[in-house]
Amino acid sequence: MERRRAWSSKRRLVSAVGLGALLACGGDEPREQAAASEGGTPVVYTVNYPLQYFAQRITGDVVRVVFPAPADLDPAFWQPEAQVVAQYQAADLILLNGAGYAAWTSRVSLPAAKLVNTSGVLEDAFLRVEGVVTHAHGPGGEHAHEGIAFTTWLDPTQAIQQAAAIRDAFAAAWPEHAATFDGGFAALEADLMALDEQFAAAVVLDPARPMLASHPVYQYLERRYGLNIESVQWEPTEHPGGGMWRDFRRLLSDHPANWMLWEAEPLAETAARLRELGVQPIVFDPCGNVPDNGDYLSVMQANAEHLARAYGRVGS
Amino acid sequence: MRDSLYLAWRYLAYHRIKTAILITSITLIVFLPVGLRVLVNQSADQLTARAEATPLIVGARGSPLELVLNSLYFESDIPETMRYAEAIRLDTMGLAQPIPLYVRFTARGYPIVGTTLEYFAFRGLEVAAGTGLTMLGDCVLGARVAEQLGVEPGGTVVSSPESVFDIAGVYPLKMRVAGVLAFSDSPDDHAIFVDVKTAWVIEGLVHGHVDLSQAGAATGILRRDSSVITANASLVQYQEITADNIESFHFHGDLSTYPITAIIAVPPDQRSEAILRGRYESPDERSQIVVPVSVMDELLDTILTVQTFVIAAVVVVGLSTFATAILVFLLSLRLRRREIETMVKIGGSRGSIAWVMTSEIVVVLLMGVLLATTLTLLTSQFGSSAIRALIF
Repeated sequence: MERRRAWSSKRRLVSAVGLGALLACGGDEPREQAAASEGGTPVVYTVNYPLQYFAQRITGDVVRVVFPAPADLDPAFWQPEAQVVAQYQAADLILLNGAGYAAWTSRVSLPAAKLVNTSGVLEDAFLRVEGVVTHAHGPGGEHAHEGIAFTTWLDPTQAIQQAAAIRDAFAAAWPEHAATFDGGFAALEADLMALDEQFAAAVVLDPARPMLASHPVYQYLERRYGLNIESVQWEPTEHPGGGMWRDFRRLLSDHPANWMLWEAEPLAETAARLRELGVQPIVFDPCGNVPDNGDYLSVMQANAEHLARAYGRVGS
Repeated sequence: MRDSLYLAWRYLAYHRIKTAILITSITLIVFLPVGLRVLVNQSADQLTARAEATPLIVGARGSPLELVLNSLYFESDIPETMRYAEAIRLDTMGLAQPIPLYVRFTARGYPIVGTTLEYFAFRGLEVAAGTGLTMLGDCVLGARVAEQLGVEPGGTVVSSPESVFDIAGVYPLKMRVAGVLAFSDSPDDHAIFVDVKTAWVIEGLVHGHVDLSQAGAATGILRRDSSVITANASLVQYQEITADNIESFHFHGDLSTYPITAIIAVPPDQRSEAILRGRYESPDERSQIVVPVSVMDELLDTILTVQTFVIAAVVVVGLSTFATAILVFLLSLRLRRREIETMVKIGGSRGSIAWVMTSEIVVVLLMGVLLATTLTLLTSQFGSSAIRALIF
């Protein structure tokens, strides 16, 4: 009966999660390692930095929020080692981004009752990733490893919904701090709404202007503000090969953009060659991992300023 | 009186074989029905204890007994499978904590139980060595399995193919032993636990292979169109999940359609349990919900009916054996006529002689009953261990 009661309280806090989250969901030294509920303070683990930021804003000092991915990796494609997975298992709650983000969560064992799928309410609004190769082998027949666009937080209105899911889960788990969570959420919501207005204002002059992106990660931003973005698969830290430039020129002729969004500063040589082609590289950091400077909000505000330059609100 | 008892004792000691046979007969007459009843009661307790600790089981429509035996004891045939979506649905209802089970595969004769981490907390299972399940491809061994296979954490266990004749079937999966559970005196000691997703890997629904879009996979490709790459039979699928290849493991299709054999449903209170059971009463419902203890009680009722017949037969046999023993005593009186005459001639009264004879019978009866009682006590003390060894 004791066990049943324990589940009952857990049940309430993960009502928006379900076992579906369990399904939706090397060599790296984690940035921060912590055991759950150390010193009586509840511990929450997240799968990316935006969720950590949202959770910290909502909880203040009530809950310790841990995001253990190494700083130099994209958390979306990280594969934690067993001891890090054990830390996630020991946490009081695990915040998932959902939308197929952090595929590693489907390749490990996580306690379903602790999972909080923050984008569960957004499922109907998910965007499918196009251009996925289908393949066939074995008795399963033809299948595609297609995916869902997972940078859900780049639409600030979606980020607010994810933050609301975090607040609800926290309030269910620690109802005695519900007022603190409500206060933290209200302040975060105001900031995210202001950010939404800032993004909208940045592109208001000509949102349909052709834009390029180094990676297909801006789908929700594009949808929210009616942008016209075509993406390639270029890494900021790698030189694009000859074939990639050839494809790029072809793309540019069909999609005459003057600006290209990058997740991070591209190599100087790449930037120079882009400028030769009349394309200005500009950084729009999705902020999946902890930024070197500032926090989520300051990075997004910088992104908005960069967008304003690209869309003509501010002279380049 | 002491003299009579001494004479009776000397007589029994002198005819030790006849005495031993008589005592054995009396012992068996008393012990068999009583001991059988003790054993049956203990078996019933063993069977119902685990059922009582499992509030509800949801499964596909079919035999409730098969569902319960497979889910509680990992025995019996594989029940009809259902979709994992049922576990998600149950979770969404919010009336019970669902613990999915997929008990289909074996490794070296031991059942592989695919489940989630909640199962270990629910059963109160502790890890005695190593760690619990963490990565895809991990397994945790029950105490007896580890003992009998001689495998420790860090070792490996290979799943057994379902059919040796299924050459084109799914390859066995080499599972890393993450830990060994503490002895729990339950069927869990005789099982190998994996994450339900690892069970799907064993089935081939989840697998890893080289990236077909990479140049290195050319030899494994049968056809390559603009958007479709078809692999041929030579495509190597990984049979062991390691740190190097774990990222290549992927799920095909909608995971909610993947199979499971049962869901243990743990409602927080009786009200939730009643509502939940009501939800599954609909005639359109494709799943069934069973109360394991009720199913086991039905089974035990059947066993107890058989037990009644067996005990009745034993009692009849006992009565006839008892009658034979009386006959033996009466016949022995005839055979001992000269002995009795001698006792009369040396001055023994009729009463003293009768007392000697009665003492012999009483001693034999008492010794038989005493032995039967001892055996019954031993049965009640050690019977449960023997039963566990037999049924688990």
